[in-house]
Amino acid sequence: MIENFKISLKEIDKINLINQEDKNYRIENLEFFNKKGFPTKKEEDWKFSDLREIFSKNFKKIDINDAYPEENNFRLIQEFDHNYILLINGRLIRSDFKFEDKNKIKITGYKEENFLREKSNNPLICLNNALSNEGYNLVVEKDYKFEKVLVIYNLFNEDLSEKILNNKNKIIVNKNSELHTIEYTINRSKNKFFNNTYENVILYENAKFKNICIQAGRSEGYFHKFLNGSIKSDSKYSSFIFSSGLKFNKQDIQIDLEGKNSDCEIKSALFLNKEDHQEIKTIVNHLVPNCKSFQKIKSVLDSNAKGVYQGKIFVKDIAQKTNAYQLSKALLISENSEFDSKPELEIYADDVKCSHGSTSGNVDENSVHYLMTRGLTKKEATQLLINGFLKEIISEIKSDTIKKFVENKLEFQVYGY
Amino acid sequence: MKNSNINTNQEYKYGFTTDIENVRAPKGLNENSIKFISKMKKEPKWMLDWRLKAFNRLKNLKEPNWQKPKYPKINYQDLYYYSAPKSASNKPKSLDEVDPKLIETYKKLGIPLQEQKRLSGVAVDAVFDSVSVATTYKEELTKKGIIFCSISEAIREHPELVKKYLGSVIPLTDHYFATLNSAVFTDGSFVYIPPKVKCPMELSTYFRINASETGQFERTLIIADKGSYVSYLEGCTAPMRDENQLHAANVELVALDDAEIKYSTVQNWYPGDKDGIGGIYNFVTKRGACRGRNSKISWTQVETGSAITWKYPSCILQGDNSVGEFYSIAITNNHQKADTGTKMIHLGKNTKSKIISKGISAGQADNTYRGLVDIGKKALNSRNYTQCDSLLMGNKCGAHTVPYIKNKNSTSTVEHEATTSKINDEQLYYCNQRGLNQEEAVSLIVNGFCKEVLQQLPMEFAVEAQKLVGISLEGSVG
Repeated sequence: MIENFKISLKEIDKINLINQEDKNYRIENLEFFNKKGFPTKKEEDWKFSDLREIFSKNFKKIDINDAYPEENNFRLIQEFDHNYILLINGRLIRSDFKFEDKNKIKITGYKEENFLREKSNNPLICLNNALSNEGYNLVVEKDYKFEKVLVIYNLFNEDLSEKILNNKNKIIVNKNSELHTIEYTINRSKNKFFNNTYENVILYENAKFKNICIQAGRSEGYFHKFLNGSIKSDSKYSSFIFSSGLKFNKQDIQIDLEGKNSDCEIKSALFLNKEDHQEIKTIVNHLVPNCKSFQKIKSVLDSNAKGVYQGKIFVKDIAQKTNAYQLSKALLISENSEFDSKPELEIYADDVKCSHGSTSGNVDENSVHYLMTRGLTKKEATQLLINGFLKEIISEIKSDTIKKFVENKLEFQVYGY
Repeated sequence: MKNSNINTNQEYKYGFTTDIENVRAPKGLNENSIKFISKMKKEPKWMLDWRLKAFNRLKNLKEPNWQKPKYPKINYQDLYYYSAPKSASNKPKSLDEVDPKLIETYKKLGIPLQEQKRLSGVAVDAVFDSVSVATTYKEELTKKGIIFCSISEAIREHPELVKKYLGSVIPLTDHYFATLNSAVFTDGSFVYIPPKVKCPMELSTYFRINASETGQFERTLIIADKGSYVSYLEGCTAPMRDENQLHAANVELVALDDAEIKYSTVQNWYPGDKDGIGGIYNFVTKRGACRGRNSKISWTQVETGSAITWKYPSCILQGDNSVGEFYSIAITNNHQKADTGTKMIHLGKNTKSKIISKGISAGQADNTYRGLVDIGKKALNSRNYTQCDSLLMGNKCGAHTVPYIKNKNSTSTVEHEATTSKINDEQLYYCNQRGLNQEEAVSLIVNGFCKEVLQQLPMEFAVEAQKLVGISLEGSVG
């Protein structure tokens, strides 16, 4: 089976390379991937999501995507004013920062030199290292706060079928700056494809970065994203994940709190059905004292869906006064749904407050009964409860217009079930 | 401060050895030493075949390496797999005939073998190294039809029971250390409680590692037949010694319809000295199967000793309405390492499990809770509650929690909670103010922290365990 998913070294020749060293690095990585293949549940990080099995079931072969067509019928979000950048199949097509001071923002397409040549044991990262040649690079200069939100339209076109896309993105927010983005994924492909993204986020002193990740609608796409964040002192990273609607999605987030008083928040509300399989994996590394981190993952699982949360809090011995909290809650509303979690603590400092909680179960019967005595049908009652369960996360978005926008998307999913 | 004083005073209380000539198997792990063990034990052929089957399987297995505590490579060819006190070949008929040196050792350990026999109300199957020497209270148990003897005796006297249940919970092929045990196990206890019998007393075995360079491979098998109840105590102390010693025991529990087994352990083996030299490797496989409807298995453990503790007492909840419980205190100090937890595998309907784990880490120790809660597709209306709390003393130690939670049906509920913190300064201050010194205050607070687990222990153990909690942590705060 693995044979079907081997990728020829010739693919590397197609990439416009800068030098031989880069090429060797890519070859090394591709060879590693070809040797390992897609990860299986035997690997600890993939224990609950056997990607090889999923691929064997759903894909016959997999080819490298090389088509980046022009966009057509592309409509901007009308609900609120925003800046945007448009990606088609991962390639940066255009950008518009009409609400901002353009001198303070730098945006370019993928550049080899933006990334360190790091070694990885994760076959998917190696695959990405070997083949990525699209993506974007965004830099916010120091002392600049964005006026309006930046929407990253991530569009996948109709022709993708059994293709694999590898992208690398980088976001740098310099000192005292602030950036707020919405990653808006639009899928036009009716066929299966695999998007493999590597993202690097660096926040310098006293910077703020807020990201919301949301889907336009259901998709046949399989997604894997590895995000590596490095957070310096007094800066704050916050991420909302609303990626409902994807066939397969794994967000692998690793945040290093490198500066004092830094803060990291990861929140997610997911509604999964129709054999969706989504996994959120977070590792928050507390490397210095006085940092805070908070993760809150809420999932609702309907027909044959599988949700996974693997979260790890690591506290280094010098990272005293750490405050870390992690919570995952899941509602299983269909007999065949499954939720697996592995909330992990690895702590080497004593003066810390670290805790986690994880629950899974059905909708509270008493609450359903209460609502039914008030005239709701069982289905309506359940929908109302699910909606309330997930809205808790959305209510933490500050901007009202964006909150409304996200709510509508979610309600559409919940009431459509 | 006065810490150094306390350290010298409170070093391993049970550190002493007894000189008794040993009969040993040839050194090394091979078919010959297995045949030797089997011969010494006067085992029937089927047992030898079973051992050899395990040995063949072992050749293809690798030692697991996923655990947190790492240890130097064990040279399995350099160990003796059998050693017995010499006097065992002509077993004494009464206590008077027992080697007086052994009796002396037991006295130091506080085992009530002679005059305390009646007073204590505990039947003791004492294992000195690998051979059972004397089993008390046999008559009373026999009257009720209870079988409580060494596993070797059970193999000879009750082969039908042993054949039926041995390896049925921990199969031959399970994992490296369990398979190793299956091949070379030397002794251990066997308990069978007949239907509708409530065992009138707590059954207890003291294990004692003595002969240098001998790993102990015990095998315990407890079967509670329909509607029966048994409470079993396991306690360990070991003499002070320099080289590392391997201990890989297997414990199998089987509870049939409406039966209940309560298994309590206080483990206080030699943990190595203050610099982490020496100490026992405690790699134990403990597993219980709730085979019958309404059956219950409860594990309680207080782990304070051993250089490395690596065990996960588990429950397989097969029968409908069966219950699994796990209460654990793991205390690590100096360079000790513990990687312990449980597995609750829910297969039957309406199964319930509860996990309470308290980890305390001091010095340069590492303490890990690792557990699995797996609720199968057919385990409708199942319920699990897990609570893992860790207490850290100082910033050179580590406390880790690695739970795996799988829920595969919508009618079941799983809850998991974990916290990590240090001893509250205000609480310490309050205790100091009331006249307790630092050590006493810590002991008091930690005992409070562990209360939920200590309450589960039978009377005989509760007192000893409370003292142990205090002793294990002395010298860690100040």
